[in-house]
Amino acid sequence: MTRRERADRRRGLLLMAPTLATLAVLTVYPGAWVLWLSLQYRVPAFGVDRFAGASHYAFLAGDPRFWSAARTTALFTVASVGLELVLGVAVALALVGQRRGRRLAFSLLLLAWAMPAVVTARLFEWLYHPAAGLLNVLLGGLDLNWLGDPALALPAVVLADVWRTLPFVAVLAYARLLGIPTELYEAAQVDGAGRLATFTRVTLPLLRGVLLIAVLFRTLDALRAFDLMFVLTGGGPAGTTETLTVYAYRGLFQMLQLGFGSAVGVVVFALVMLVAWAYLRLLRAGEAAA
Amino acid sequence: MRGRRAVLLAALLALAGCAERPPGDGPVTLVFKHARILGPADPFPGLLAEFAAAHPGVRVTSESLPWSSDEQHQFYVINLEGRSPGFDVMMLDVIWVPEFARAGWLLDLTDRVRPEELAPHFASTVAAATWAGRVWALPWNMNVGLLYYRADLLAKYGLRPPETWEELEAAVRTIRAGERDPRLEGYLWQGKQYEGMVVNVLEALWANGTRLLGADGAVFPEPARAVEALAHLRGLLATGVSPRWVTAADEELSRRAFGDGRAVFLRNWPYVLDLVEAPGSAVRGRVGLAPLPGRVRGAGAGSTGGSHLGISRGTRHPDLALALVRFLTGERAQRAMATGAALYPTRTALYRDPALVARNRWLPRIHDLMLAGRPRPVTPSYLLLSTTLQPELSAVLVGLKPPARAIADARRRLDYFLASRR
Amino acid sequence: MSRGGRLRDALVLAALAAYAVPFVWQLLTSLKPEAELLRVPPLLPARLTLDHYRVVLEQSLIPRALLNSLGVAGLTTLSALLLGLPAAYALARLPVPGRSALLLGIVASTAFPQIATVSPLYLMMRALGLRDTWTALVLAHTSFALPLVIWLLAGFVREIPPALEESAAVDGASRGQALRFILLPLLAPGVASAGLLAFLFSWNEFLFAYTFTATGASRTVPVALALFPGVFEVPWGDIAAASMLASLPPVLIVVGLQRYLVRGLLAGAVKD
Repeated sequence: MTRRERADRRRGLLLMAPTLATLAVLTVYPGAWVLWLSLQYRVPAFGVDRFAGASHYAFLAGDPRFWSAARTTALFTVASVGLELVLGVAVALALVGQRRGRRLAFSLLLLAWAMPAVVTARLFEWLYHPAAGLLNVLLGGLDLNWLGDPALALPAVVLADVWRTLPFVAVLAYARLLGIPTELYEAAQVDGAGRLATFTRVTLPLLRGVLLIAVLFRTLDALRAFDLMFVLTGGGPAGTTETLTVYAYRGLFQMLQLGFGSAVGVVVFALVMLVAWAYLRLLRAGEAAA
Repeated sequence: MRGRRAVLLAALLALAGCAERPPGDGPVTLVFKHARILGPADPFPGLLAEFAAAHPGVRVTSESLPWSSDEQHQFYVINLEGRSPGFDVMMLDVIWVPEFARAGWLLDLTDRVRPEELAPHFASTVAAATWAGRVWALPWNMNVGLLYYRADLLAKYGLRPPETWEELEAAVRTIRAGERDPRLEGYLWQGKQYEGMVVNVLEALWANGTRLLGADGAVFPEPARAVEALAHLRGLLATGVSPRWVTAADEELSRRAFGDGRAVFLRNWPYVLDLVEAPGSAVRGRVGLAPLPGRVRGAGAGSTGGSHLGISRGTRHPDLALALVRFLTGERAQRAMATGAALYPTRTALYRDPALVARNRWLPRIHDLMLAGRPRPVTPSYLLLSTTLQPELSAVLVGLKPPARAIADARRRLDYFLASRR
Repeated sequence: MSRGGRLRDALVLAALAAYAVPFVWQLLTSLKPEAELLRVPPLLPARLTLDHYRVVLEQSLIPRALLNSLGVAGLTTLSALLLGLPAAYALARLPVPGRSALLLGIVASTAFPQIATVSPLYLMMRALGLRDTWTALVLAHTSFALPLVIWLLAGFVREIPPALEESAAVDGASRGQALRFILLPLLAPGVASAGLLAFLFSWNEFLFAYTFTATGASRTVPVALALFPGVFEVPWGDIAAASMLASLPPVLIVVGLQRYLVRGLLAGAVKD
């Protein structure tokens, strides 16, 4: 190693130091602490603080509400990510040919993505209002209670989430589409491929990479989703929209069971990491095969 | 330059002096945290001005709480846990008093409040302000669950107000069969997933001769009876005695439908009276009120509710805060609130007050119902009980879970959490 | 342009306008007189009013919350950039030991669920007496914005050919000068993109804000909106007005700084 290299290494570490210190204190340390907390009975308000071992986890294993929340989380994730993907690509395809008003189009699109999820929740709460909601009026004066009916509430939350995050997928896909050389399309045309065939044989394979990334990001987000259902339904009716994160939060700050709530939080954490890991493996395997 | 510095120094000293002076000596601000009061004429500004006039140098700022009881609770928990909050006097839902007392958030009033000060209030509301043998708050306003009925419709079919579940269901069937009005519903109550639904379930438990917490602290001490009570509520929905949307109804949603003349019966709090009797109401003069029906005659009881005023343990002005609490829970203030805000007094004498009775002829009747009302379980873990039960009970009402399973699941959870809190 | 093309463009815009209806409907609601709120149809109000805005601005916590949000999001952005810029440069240009592990760690921490760290952070803030302060939120938000900013900026630095700095060095400029006069100006749009995303993250964040704030001293807009007070009756018009105010900065960013926003959005996802 030359002297210059050594100096650069030192400089690099020096530049990284404040960041590393910050993340160590605010991310790594809490990350370890939460594991410890999840092994305790901890009710700060009542001064309860004693070791619980794995009993929270044992309880969760046989807890129907936990499994129902896990199921809701899975349903929410699959439904909302799937819809976002399909609709996002459709929007991107529509935008690619856009000549005029592209900026306006993007503004309309990105609005939903940029505003707080709490605002989204408030917008949809009002759209779903049983008596004065625009949705029921537009559906021809239907009398549906979107957020009160256990069969409709989760779809209603998914709809709001799709509305909010579709722009993310759309913008990603759009950027990739712009990068596709027109010769490819021309070649497909020469081969006599129809529109559908062009889409499935040319466009989709080229979008694959960026869509996989979008799916990863959105899946990780959806697994952690909290704001939207917490404000829109609070997890009801009948617990049908209670995700793991909402369940954990209720345990932590409504029931004040800090140890128990932390255990649920750790499960969410593990789930997110597991999905990310599995996904990266899948991606590598796909690259190796290609 | 030097002069300016001297002025600055003097100002700093004065500031420091202010902070060290004993409370009550300089201008003092009391912060009062309470839910927004609605009513024909908000009595609050007037009352607070009156208090300020009687206590020169004291300013009272009142700050609004969030909307629902659940959110208010959350607000307090986050504010009070492990720190001294930015307020002195707080409005408390009756169900929070033991919890806040155990957590050490409330000033113990036992030695400051004489027993004869408490005597004029309903005994049950004083009981709710008491925990572990100490007094933690003063009763401010009172509530009780009641049955509203359409007196005109009952009279038309020669029916008396129902006293049992069976009579209520029969009355609904008779009247709906006779009226042939598809928009007329039978019995409305609160079945949305929130604290209000737990109250409705508690009332069903009592009506069936059982309760949520046994004397030994056991959850659902008689599960078979609890299952019956839940099955009854579910049955109301399944048989159409109550419309399905009751599973999404809170006080206001159910009150509105009844107030529009779209239902025969309604379970709700006394505040509804003012609204149905108001000029322009579709059912004005056509409403009666009765105790909630029981499984058998005389078994029904409404849940009591309402709010208390407590003092934050972190207050720097305990004496002034207590003076404000005394003033607001006093006879004058309670009368003003009964007149202006439809908040029912906790002082029994006001229910016989000629001026108030002249305004509201139902007062003596409500007095009796309040007297017969039952409190929700008085325990520091009430919120834990309620929030744990809510999704389970809601699942029963919408038909997603059989009552027996919901009760078994809820018991398992509560046993676990309650054990870990001891 | 062909007529068909123009028609198509108009149709796409119309579809996107329909997509924005939830927002527009709320905007309309915020301008409707109280008496007309629960009466639909008609969809359009007979007259428009600013009453709801007046109520929200004069009688609610929202103005204070807007100030808090602005402060917290501004400081979060600043601290994430100040910490992240040197770190990103180091990761992109210098032979930092364990570089790939560090990068992986940073990417992993962007995926960290907030619910997992909220309880320890809560106990930490409680012990330090930081609850209900801007500091608590800025710290918590920075812990999430920082990895994102580093990730983005490292990518942007890598896009700039090192040859530029090297040639400056050959011309006799010191390393610091090369950074300041060559790299930083080229990096400015990237810094803007990263900063915007950090700002939006902090502005929109709810879970930490809901847990660590308690009063007007630190309560941010999403929390104030989620807890908007009322009794029995939900003040829909006031809530609509508050929603509009809460989305004002994001809307301004989307309309005015769209280029940087989109660039940041793409960079975060497409770089690998």
